Amino acid sequence: MHRFLRRPDVGILIGCICIFILFSLWNPGQWFNWYTFISISRYTAILGLLAIGQTFVILVREIDLSVGSVYGAVGVAFIGLEQQLSVPLSFLLAMIFAIMVGLLNATIVIGGRLPSMIVTLGGLFFYRGLIYVSTHGAVRGPPQAARQDWFAQLIGGHWFRVENGFLWMLLLAGICGAILYQTPFGNHLFASGGDPASAESQGIPVNRVRTWAFILCSVFAGLSAVVTLTKDPQTNVSLGTGFELESIAAVVIGGTLLAGGRGTVLGTVLGSFFFTAVRSEMIAFGAPPSWYTSFVGIALLLVVTVNTLLSKRLRSN
Amino acid sequence: MQIVPDSDHVPGSKPLISVKDVCLSYGNFRALTDISVDFYAGELVGLVGDNGAGKTTLIRILSGIIPPDSGEVYFDGRRITRFYPKLAIALGVESIQQAIGLCDNLSVARNYFLGREPVRQFFGIRILDKKSMRDASAKVIRDFGLRDSIDVEDDISLLSGGEKQTFKIARAVSFRNRVIIMDEPTNHLSVRERGRVNELAVQLKQQGLLVIYITHDIFQIHRIADRIVILENGRKVADVSKIAMSAEGLEEIIRQGGRSPTSGPAES
Repeated sequence: MHRFLRRPDVGILIGCICIFILFSLWNPGQWFNWYTFISISRYTAILGLLAIGQTFVILVREIDLSVGSVYGAVGVAFIGLEQQLSVPLSFLLAMIFAIMVGLLNATIVIGGRLPSMIVTLGGLFFYRGLIYVSTHGAVRGPPQAARQDWFAQLIGGHWFRVENGFLWMLLLAGICGAILYQTPFGNHLFASGGDPASAESQGIPVNRVRTWAFILCSVFAGLSAVVTLTKDPQTNVSLGTGFELESIAAVVIGGTLLAGGRGTVLGTVLGSFFFTAVRSEMIAFGAPPSWYTSFVGIALLLVVTVNTLLSKRLRSN
Repeated sequence: MQIVPDSDHVPGSKPLISVKDVCLSYGNFRALTDISVDFYAGELVGLVGDNGAGKTTLIRILSGIIPPDSGEVYFDGRRITRFYPKLAIALGVESIQQAIGLCDNLSVARNYFLGREPVRQFFGIRILDKKSMRDASAKVIRDFGLRDSIDVEDDISLLSGGEKQTFKIARAVSFRNRVIIMDEPTNHLSVRERGRVNELAVQLKQQGLLVIYITHDIFQIHRIADRIVILENGRKVADVSKIAMSAEGLEEIIRQGGRSPTSGPAES
């Protein structure tokens, strides 16, 4: 029991249970509604995928501010390629583009010994600019035919009325959790984030681990974009703006330490669900959507404070 | 004047590590100048000197963290041309330092196998063999006399300073290392913990390992070492077996800043 309470994701687990109970008592007709579930699950999938990738980067004590723009750039690349090539091939090429972006971020951070916050801030502007330049400011969504393609359906379709994007997110979260806790790579990742010098002294290739974290982050941002676009054809050049901060908020509220070395994928997924569910309820209540932004800030401060106090108390015991 | 070690320090045996004319600079600062020293298996060598004498720099070379600017390093008769930590670990050189070596965010078991995780195949995927991680680390905790109340699933940060040092030494020994470098291993330790760590250092030597023990404390090292090497301003100023010189004599060498004491040089 004591060890369970020391888990970093206890706070968000309690938070999710609280809002679930609150919303079911407050507005059961709206909360226990299939359409509510679909809309929450869709956005949880999109934010969750972004945030899972961000979790890897934060676990190794770095940060990736470029994910929102990378999400947009990979999405735009996917749509652009799809006009010439088949859907699976354009997906593959878009993912290769994402891998290259992650590799580039990591190379500049490691090779230049620069703070990732600066490097990826540069990425945030650069890839957003790239979207404007390459599309001349006009992005069309994927045409109907492309969305009917078997591969697009595989990613953006349904399975027993549940959206595939949500199921993919859950599957990938499970796989990432297993990678983190059950494989040597996961152990190296935690070690590299917790104490890089000690990890290095035991022969762990810390820089290679960091590179993988950045690559995974960009790939997850790309996957999130493809999940979005195969489902929702409406898009524009600002696709993904602000997602970098939302993904970081979801990771942090999920209990992952910004200082690295401690965190869970489950916490990140719950963090994404938490923000999405609250946004959905606020809209249902007719609150102005801009309130959501303030709410994210308040919730973040609240949960991080509770987490910090809780872990201090447990440590002193 | 420089005191040169006897080439036949341990009769009939070759040095395990041989450092020849090694120089290294950090920018304009000459950290090491023409260092030549041999280390033999089954020997406990004290590496002594003031701050900035070059002890840590020498150790960083032996641990593969930095390459020397010039000079040669031989391990077991083989010339080392590329220096990287993984090679040092593969050759069985493990350094134990006060501040690094353990990740506080990981459990005892995960720290024990850090970088050497045992795996089993699960549908062709290499996953951690957690059972053998638990069993092996629990055994080593018992063998090295750490508290019974420590669970291998607990965070390593629950251990005291002395327990952490003991744990690092235990880990270094159980992975069949040949060289254990201890970098000021007893700093910030209680008297009893210090005694325990020094006892372990002697035991390792008796098992045939080469132990290089870095310290400021000449009296402490004189009690346990077979030979003492003194560095001063990046140069080797003394290399004597302990029977050849008293701790006071060695202290005098350090105090004189490497100039040989008036009593004349002591040969090993």
